[in-house]
Amino acid sequence: MTGHGDPSPAANRSAETGVDAVLAARMADRDPAALREVIAAYGAGLHRIAYRMTGDAHEAEDIVQETMLRLWDHAPRLAARHPADTAAAAGLRLPGWLKRVATNLAIDRLRLARRVSGDEIPEHADDAPLADALIEAGQRIDTARALVAALPERQRAAIVLTYYEELPNVEAAAVMDMNIKAFESLLLRARAGLRSAFASGMQGDAA
Amino acid sequence: MSAEPNNVGGPIIAGTPLARMLDDYPVPALPADFADRVVAAAASRSEAAPLPLLRRSGSDRDSSSGRRGRRGWRMGRRIVIGVAGFGVLATAAAATGLLESFDIPVPTPQKVWASLTGAPPAASAIPATSLPRDPAPGALSPVVIDGPIDTPEELAEVFRRIDSVREGRVATRRQMVDKRIDDALERRRAAGLAVPSAEEEARLRQRIDEARARRDRSTSENIAIRREALSRKVESGVPLTREEVLRTLRDDKTLAEQRQRRDQWRQMSPQERREALGALPPEERRALIEAWRERRGVSAPATPEPLPAYPATTPSPDNSAAVPAGDPDQQ
Repeated sequence: MTGHGDPSPAANRSAETGVDAVLAARMADRDPAALREVIAAYGAGLHRIAYRMTGDAHEAEDIVQETMLRLWDHAPRLAARHPADTAAAAGLRLPGWLKRVATNLAIDRLRLARRVSGDEIPEHADDAPLADALIEAGQRIDTARALVAALPERQRAAIVLTYYEELPNVEAAAVMDMNIKAFESLLLRARAGLRSAFASGMQGDAA
Repeated sequence: MSAEPNNVGGPIIAGTPLARMLDDYPVPALPADFADRVVAAAASRSEAAPLPLLRRSGSDRDSSSGRRGRRGWRMGRRIVIGVAGFGVLATAAAATGLLESFDIPVPTPQKVWASLTGAPPAASAIPATSLPRDPAPGALSPVVIDGPIDTPEELAEVFRRIDSVREGRVATRRQMVDKRIDDALERRRAAGLAVPSAEEEARLRQRIDEARARRDRSTSENIAIRREALSRKVESGVPLTREEVLRTLRDDKTLAEQRQRRDQWRQMSPQERREALGALPPEERRALIEAWRERRGVSAPATPEPLPAYPATTPSPDNSAAVPAGDPDQQ
């Protein structure tokens, strides 16, 4: 998943040069172009996280939009704390902030959905006639989605951040607002759960 | 196709079946007009929405005062709940008398207030059920005997002082016993437990009074015998020392043994008491029963029944007839 999981070069660059602080200052001045730049830079990554967390494209779009709006709302506060022309500007890392908000929003929605419906995995019945290849591809996607969706919300977030987004454990722990030891324990359980579900699926197929 | 069974929690290695399965999870692209929608929504947004709550309190990297505040409140809330819970349990224990059963003194609110303010508790604030005060405080001062007692007048004065102290102590002890009974009944009433009816309580108190009267009579007789002996000594010209007059019951070896034996009998259940009585040698058992009859004023049967041989395991029902269920050596 290297193609999807590259830590954004823009993120590293922004941290070094204070680009994020400049963007925050511009958003604090209510410059829509700054928001567009942030969406262009970080929107896709947030969408990947949200989609793999929820398994639903519309939910994922909503989460990304809500995350961007939260950034828009809190831009004045961020800009005040990290003025663009000071040393504090380097301390503002928008990617981490955005991932944290998006992950928490996704966990919130998953918990809410579980309370409301009790369904873990949405069923996508499709009666339209499809080619065998499409059916097979859909089955593979559904299997992967089911594997991830079978995990509890926090374990799911740990897998999405470390495996799909390829974040180092320290950064993933910071996104989930956990200390590193607790996160590694969570990740261990998540991997074990994945392997167990995968093995069960393979045994079911063999049977 | 294996699921890497030897590395259950380890990293998912690229190329393994699990990794290939996970990689088959493509993400659709965001709509082309997504940025326009977000910018339009941002333009129409008036108030800042609150950030989603963090799931855990973690590192302090962002030095967010809000996060610190939430964590502080969380900890403070736990402390408040803990203190309140302890207070409720302690209050319940004090109210049900549990602490008193463990000999933990529970101060009255008046005492607590007095200790806080430094002022003595108001006399009117002391409840009527507080510990009884000594009815004759002056009489409780220790009796001082200067020099040897060698005249009947001095001896009479000594007896008078001893009597005043003894009366004060007896009255205090009786008030404490009465208060304990009242408190026990009140606690049972408060706890919703069964309490004796008025007739039963009257019978109980009557039995206590009778027991007191028997004990007083016995004690007075012993004291009279002893004082007579002391008086004879003084009249014959033998001076008495303080220790001789104030010899306590504890110093009397025979009385101490009797008290120890009596305490042992009292701690037994009626069944144990019957069995222990049956295990005694016949002479000792007979002497014990005679002593009990003598104290209780029960006359022996006209034709004494032969004492049954008490097997240790099968107590005879005759035993309970000969010796009532009460303490055979109660006084």
